[in-house]
Amino acid sequence: MSTAKFFSSPWRTLGFFLLILITLIWLLPFLTALLTSVRTNDDILTQGFIAIPKEWTLQNFVTAWNRGGLHKYLPNSFIITIPALFATLLLSSLSAYALARFKFPGNRLLFFLYVGGTMLPFQVLLLPVFRLTDALGLYDTHLGLILFHTAFQLGFCTFLLRNYMRTVPGEILEAARIDGCGEFRIWAQIMMPLTLPALAALATLEFTWIFNDYLWAIVLLRTDALKPVTAGLATLQGQYVTDWTVIVAGALIATVPTVLLFIFLQRYFIEGLTLGATK
Amino acid sequence: MLRSKKLVPYYFLIVPLLLYLGWVIGPMLYTFYLSLTKWDGISAPVFRGLANYERLFRDPIFFTSLKNNLRWIISFITIPVVAGLGLALALNRAIPGAKFFKASFYSPLVLSLVVCGLIWSWMYHPAGGLINSVLRAVGLENLARGWLSDEKTVMWAIIAVAVWRQVGYVMVLYLAGLQGVDPQLIDAAKVDGANSWNTFRHVILPLLTPVTTIVVVISIIDSLRAFDLVSVMTRGGPYNSSSVLANFMYIEAFNNYKMGYAAAISVILFFISAVFIFIYLWRVMQDELEY
Amino acid sequence: MKKTLFAVVAMAMILSLALAACGPTPTPQIIEKTVEVTKEVVVTKEVVVTKEVEVEKPVDRRVVIYNSYASDPAPRAADEALVKMFEEAHPDIEVQHSTVAHEDFKQAIRAYLTASTPPDVMTWFAGNRARFFIDKGLIMDISDVWEQEGWNEDYPAGFRALSTVNDKQYFLPTSWYWWAVYYRKDIFEQYNLQEPQTWEEFLQVCETLKANGITPLTIGTKYPWTAAAWFDYLNMRVNGPEFHINLMLGKEAYNDPRVLKVFTDYWAPLIENGYFIDDPAAYTWSEALQFMVDGSSAMYLMGDFLRDSYPADQVGKIDFFRFPVIDPAMPIGEDAPTDGFFIAAQSQHPEDAKTFLAFLGSVEAQQYNADVLGRLPTNLKVDTSKFTPVQQKGLELIKGADYVAQFYDRDTTPEMAERGMSAFSEFWANPAKIQAILEQLELERQEIFAEE
Repeated sequence: MSTAKFFSSPWRTLGFFLLILITLIWLLPFLTALLTSVRTNDDILTQGFIAIPKEWTLQNFVTAWNRGGLHKYLPNSFIITIPALFATLLLSSLSAYALARFKFPGNRLLFFLYVGGTMLPFQVLLLPVFRLTDALGLYDTHLGLILFHTAFQLGFCTFLLRNYMRTVPGEILEAARIDGCGEFRIWAQIMMPLTLPALAALATLEFTWIFNDYLWAIVLLRTDALKPVTAGLATLQGQYVTDWTVIVAGALIATVPTVLLFIFLQRYFIEGLTLGATK
Repeated sequence: MLRSKKLVPYYFLIVPLLLYLGWVIGPMLYTFYLSLTKWDGISAPVFRGLANYERLFRDPIFFTSLKNNLRWIISFITIPVVAGLGLALALNRAIPGAKFFKASFYSPLVLSLVVCGLIWSWMYHPAGGLINSVLRAVGLENLARGWLSDEKTVMWAIIAVAVWRQVGYVMVLYLAGLQGVDPQLIDAAKVDGANSWNTFRHVILPLLTPVTTIVVVISIIDSLRAFDLVSVMTRGGPYNSSSVLANFMYIEAFNNYKMGYAAAISVILFFISAVFIFIYLWRVMQDELEY
Repeated sequence: MKKTLFAVVAMAMILSLALAACGPTPTPQIIEKTVEVTKEVVVTKEVVVTKEVEVEKPVDRRVVIYNSYASDPAPRAADEALVKMFEEAHPDIEVQHSTVAHEDFKQAIRAYLTASTPPDVMTWFAGNRARFFIDKGLIMDISDVWEQEGWNEDYPAGFRALSTVNDKQYFLPTSWYWWAVYYRKDIFEQYNLQEPQTWEEFLQVCETLKANGITPLTIGTKYPWTAAAWFDYLNMRVNGPEFHINLMLGKEAYNDPRVLKVFTDYWAPLIENGYFIDDPAAYTWSEALQFMVDGSSAMYLMGDFLRDSYPADQVGKIDFFRFPVIDPAMPIGEDAPTDGFFIAAQSQHPEDAKTFLAFLGSVEAQQYNADVLGRLPTNLKVDTSKFTPVQQKGLELIKGADYVAQFYDRDTTPEMAERGMSAFSEFWANPAKIQAILEQLELERQEIFAEE
């Protein structure tokens, strides 16, 4: 439909402007964040929370980068997030395949375990997991954190991938079996490509979650040199005094990787979040 | 040969399952045990039977939190689901700038929760906040209030922020679902003389049922685990009127170091969740697709 | 596009893909291989980690791990500067300094202390909060450092007592700050007001300000510790420090008529007369500061960190006075929270940690903090002659006190503090319900202290 044709109907035009209005309201907090990132604390104190700043400054971004230590924490975030992401997707697709395509005793029980494990408020696991990590000698290492993230995200990913894999028509798999393909090859060369949209969707969501975690990072890591960007940003919050403008600026910087990934995977994301609902 | 074939699914499962058992299920069972003890996180846990649970059922904060979680669930399985579906339907056609609209509604999810909480506290601010300013400007002064300091409004104010974030998420789920709806089916319905409402009600909605199921399951999980927004916006205050179970648990565990008590709260939360998982699994059982 | 993406995702699966060869190979063999692959992945990651550790620990320097909760901007900068000063003086020791957000540190400390490799030196609160860990044997006895550095003489007896359990020193108190009622000098001058000494004078000041359209007191009780300051002071002024501290220790009841009197006779009238700003629960303490900055409010009961947050160009407009005396018969109690350092009992580098601690308690380090942050030193040898009038005044304030408390949430147990502060904010919203609130709080107290 061409733009001219679209606006030929008054109702459609009215609806469109209504949509614009709602969208702007929806974006207000985001715009406020952008505005805040170029103001100073004194400006907020004297002019109020939402106001056009008397002077604009990019200093907050510089401060966040230096004092928040973003330059040294950002690589850590990737060192933690990327292996955890791939390990999660790999392992959950393995277990999802087993749960989706095989009938075996305990299938439902295991599925319940996977879903149930995601139900517990995970903060309660902090100390038990810390003890386990310490006992294994992995305290204050990236590996300890990666292992935990991988394990913890397995539940949700297995739940979604299993549902997705259930929707793949059985005939395709059957045909491959008749051709003499082993189950692992069916998984790798047939199931995985078919699951690609769901994997892309999960990759985006999981990246956002793992990348944004900091609760586990501060409990499982002790050394500054190993910490991810979220922990660095958190140190900008003092007991009494907090540079909110710097935190907002830092948080905006930290959203960049997530946004880039979102843009890169978006097509698949939109398709992929079907999550086994269609086909 | 037959025996080895039976073992195939276990080969797939062994590595992920070991990891999961060790790092999630193990600590989870340990939490069940801890809920029967007094533990400060340092000394050895002391077994105390059901004392934590007895105390929990005398604790007014527990019931406030429970009520708030229910409010959260009810809000989450209605407003974002309807709004998200509506947006998905509206944006799933050739509208100028559709990509921009989709991205805008998704944007709240990308912003860090701490910043979301901060900005919304300013929106709700009684004196300089945007919401009260607007209310005053349109002559509704008597509606203006300290949204986050009034025990009657605080929970709803926080839930509203959560809904604001959730709508984009649900919209994307439904957009995805709509990609799978065959346009021919809709055309066929139109040819049969069905109006838009009837097409939606009798053709599109039933086709979206699997998405709706997933959306509802995710919404319930998210409502029960609600934590971050409360934690950054009010920390459960004023006087616990916006406390939710996960936040209550967290304060008991890491502010008060009552690990056993916190574990008991988690266990209760787990059993509430389990009810919903069983309903869901019961639905899964109905699914008779061959393996 | 789709192909590119597939390539990306496929990279992750590449090892598995390589092994998943087609053909009549019996399944079990393939499985064995897959398990191997997963192991390989783990090994690679370990190598990455080992490498990093090597990079950050040069062999020739010994290491002290130091975790700090000084995350407020100014103290954090001073903290980092001190570490640098120490490293320059001791080139053979490297301090691995990590700053953790203040609230997060309080949560993480139990993990730190029970880890097999805890940080060596940590920041913490003096008093009860440190005592808890000392009793569990998690904090190292540093009597030798106290002896060797001459701190037994150089530190006032009060601070020494705060660090001592069974005649042994475990803690090094280094910084403290006072609480007081801060006020706008220009507003007081405008209405011809003097710093009030007594409760009557204080009420008079409030009344005058209110009559002139200025809200006398600002406060932000969104996080209710600010309200706890009012409780601390009113209770100490009305019932005396001794009763107050016994209440903190769970030895007195919250439904005691003396506690009730604090609320009904002193606190509630302030609220009901409109001396506080409207809707304080909507603001954090620093958001409420705005009302003092813009002059719509004139006074704020707060710790000295208030001056750090006040706009730098206007901080000259404020001054402070001692919380007014209510019952002249009662000894004067003040809140002066003290922070400091300790060494973990399981420290892997105890000798170097002690060297670092000795530096933190030295005149040099404390002088630096006093000069840069305007904080009050604990070491008597620090030269106070160059102190600003504000610092001198604060020092006098505390010297004139008969008893120094730490603060509500440090003097009582964390759980009791949580419930108590929540009760104060509930009282603020419903002053008439105070009796019922205190009855409930007393039930909580019994529950909490029965468990201790």
